[in-house]
Amino acid sequence: MNDKNPCENAGGPIDIHAYLGEFDDIPGTRVYTAKRARQGYHLNQFAMSLMKAENRERWKADERAYLDEWPMTEEQKLGVLARDYNRLLDLGGNIYFLAKVFSTDGLSFLQAVSTMTGMKLEDYQAMMIAGGRSPEGQRSIKEHR
Amino acid sequence: MARITHGIACSHIPALGVASDFDKWEDPYWKPIQEGFAPTQKWEAENLPDVVILVYNDHASAFDMKIIPTFAIGCGESYKPADEGWGPREVPDVEGHPDLAWHIAQSLILDEFDMTIINEMDVDHGLTVPLSMMFGKPAKWPVKVIPLAVNVVTYPPPSGNRCWALGEAIARAVESFDEDLNVQVWGTGGMSHQLQGPRAGLINAEWDNMFLDKLSGDTQELRCIPHIEYPRETGSEGIEMVMWLIMRGALGKETRELLRFYHVPASNTAVGHIVLEPVNGDVPPSATVEGAATQEQID
Repeated sequence: MNDKNPCENAGGPIDIHAYLGEFDDIPGTRVYTAKRARQGYHLNQFAMSLMKAENRERWKADERAYLDEWPMTEEQKLGVLARDYNRLLDLGGNIYFLAKVFSTDGLSFLQAVSTMTGMKLEDYQAMMIAGGRSPEGQRSIKEHR
Repeated sequence: MARITHGIACSHIPALGVASDFDKWEDPYWKPIQEGFAPTQKWEAENLPDVVILVYNDHASAFDMKIIPTFAIGCGESYKPADEGWGPREVPDVEGHPDLAWHIAQSLILDEFDMTIINEMDVDHGLTVPLSMMFGKPAKWPVKVIPLAVNVVTYPPPSGNRCWALGEAIARAVESFDEDLNVQVWGTGGMSHQLQGPRAGLINAEWDNMFLDKLSGDTQELRCIPHIEYPRETGSEGIEMVMWLIMRGALGKETRELLRFYHVPASNTAVGHIVLEPVNGDVPPSATVEGAATQEQID
């Protein structure tokens, strides 16, 4: 037996290009697609290596030397050294992996995330306590909604 | 015979784990959350299941970019809390239920859900924070746990529809397990949050509450929400809510809400939880050749 699909919006061929294209229409957001996952593979695996205490020690002792052990681009290495998380997202970084870098720095998610918004930590925290950033005008670049 | 008694959805925000581990619940920032979870903790203690099937996502802890399983089920004896970069949480080890887990894994594969099977892994905040929120700080977790990890980090994650259907298949699998067990299914993660980019901090209380509303009753609308709507409406990490649909699918045709709590914020995130009871737990029969044969044996 084959139940019919319960979703009225289902059916027809999947257009993966249209599917992926829509993610670029969200303001201020880098959706972690396969393309970004490939671009950032070694960057994210480097960050992952900081899960181990002995690696964190070596990293803290000489960040540049530690980075040079990884086949990352120079731009990615400079982005890490500068803790420029928006730049790292553009270069294929994923936030859950980059979290290993800012956790090693002793930063919380709230502190690290605020650095990507261009807001001061106090202002960002106040915005969250007041209910967060409104989705109004933040949904679609094309449709201005 | 094993049975699914209830479903719970719950945020798994790491900061909640910190609040629990370092006894911060009396702080004014955390107090409303502690009060919001208190009735559920009480209810859970009175309705304690034998096993929880805990749907969650790993956050670059057990899995890195080397292997990205879409759906993975833990069949091991036990799991240790992961070191996520600041040392492992000081919470009890998580005890598995390998008999039921392997039964579910086999049933799901015959039901054409091609699961990855995990025998050894560490579990991160995605799994341990909901346990802390439901049970507080016991010396030993009072339930056995079957971890069910879903990829919601690298796109594309599974569709909401597929998650719902997986839940239905889990219900069929649990029903065909011989031992007399009460089983809860938990969906974790969410609600609206964005942890990256200039748009970070996005919260959509209206959408989150719509989602909570539609988990109860007999509507299946939530399974039809396309991926794009989650990041647009609820932030880039709001996609975690597809995991709640595995829980909802497992509860069958119709559910009733017993408890609900919603609060903004914890750290960057909207906190939500809901307790659901099946009113009509029927799920469609397996549509597969192997699944149909299994079903005949049960009937």
